[in-house]
Amino acid sequence: MTTTLLDITGDVCPMTFVKVKMGLQRVPPLGTLAVRLKEEALKNVISSLKTEGHRVTNVSREEGIFLLEVTKGG
Amino acid sequence: MSEADFKELKKGGMMRQAEAGHFSVRLHVVGGRLATPQLRAIREAADRFGRREIHLTSRQGVEIPHVPQDALAALKEFLAPSGVGVGVCGPTVRTVTACQGCRVCPSGVIDSPELAKAVDRELYGKPVPHKFKVGISGCVNNCMKAEENDAGIKGWIEPRWEAPACTFCGVCQAVCPTKAIATSEDGRALIVDPTPCIGCGDCITSCPTGSMREKIRGYRVFAGGKFGRRPSLGRRILGVLEKKEEAMAAILTVLDFFREHGKPRERFGDTLQRTGFPALETFVKERTGLP
Ligand code: SF4
Ligand code: SF4
Ligand code: SF4
Repeated sequence: MTTTLLDITGDVCPMTFVKVKMGLQRVPPLGTLAVRLKEEALKNVISSLKTEGHRVTNVSREEGIFLLEVTKGG
Repeated sequence: MSEADFKELKKGGMMRQAEAGHFSVRLHVVGGRLATPQLRAIREAADRFGRREIHLTSRQGVEIPHVPQDALAALKEFLAPSGVGVGVCGPTVRTVTACQGCRVCPSGVIDSPELAKAVDRELYGKPVPHKFKVGISGCVNNCMKAEENDAGIKGWIEPRWEAPACTFCGVCQAVCPTKAIATSEDGRALIVDPTPCIGCGDCITSCPTGSMREKIRGYRVFAGGKFGRRPSLGRRILGVLEKKEEAMAAILTVLDFFREHGKPRERFGDTLQRTGFPALETFVKERTGLP
């Protein structure tokens, strides 16, 4: 399955989470969305994802930018 | 009326006004909360005995200004059935302030109004060397400014790292506002330093694997804060306390310390400047067995 990449490094809260939510709509259940984001957005994005039943299955970082792999809740 | 009589009235919450023969009557409010029937009674009292005005004080209190001296007793009597008492002044434990706490505020860690009630029940109006204020914030956001009070309490989340699922993704370290999380020398563990930690719980909220967990969701005590003429901030004492009863015990013992070491008309913060904070901490730990 291809992974969609969403870049929200240029966005601020609450747009960060809105975009992730919209991004996840394009992904089938249990599919993966990759999200590029800045450190400042980590807490709100991850905590909202957890609350909505999605899982962050992998985290990597490159020069201060984080890449999250989000598995969509069923 | 003699100066002594004025002093007596002031102790009972009747504040002499700039305008001769008039008083601003301070009411007893706990944690900024009033039931609507009480609010109605206060309104009615201001209409009858004052000038249709109510003053909201800077510490969640309510005063009815412009009450003529000869109406003070009648006003007190009028309010009594609604459960609204008059306030206190002078060298006593004053209004306990509190935020809405966890029952109302989504950020809340502790039930601030409940604790405020308990503190008020035990301590309100009790004599101390100088005025003593207690303020309770439900979480690290600190809406009630715990450090501005002689004794402050803040809701606090102490994190604990658990090894098995941690992927060392670095998220907790990146979100920590005080950089309190370090990687151990061998790179196989995370260490949370309690000194810079502000108990926000952000590392727990953000951890994708649930490896950062809540160790304690409880209370943190601050002592020696004051504003007024020469402001200084309170400092935190003791470890994170788990139970409401422990927080109560801490406050009670802090007051004992103040009674034993404070001089008349000396604010608690100044007492602590003399004795040092460690003296207070040792005193409270020894008497209560708290961490
Ligand atoms: S201190 Fe925390 S719990 Fe209390 S009102 Fe502010 S944000 Fe809410
Ligand atoms: S966020 Fe969680 S998984 Fe990532 S390093 Fe911290 S404790 Fe480990
Ligand atoms: S609770 Fe807050 S301050 Fe303490 S380690 Fe976690 S993120 Fe840092």
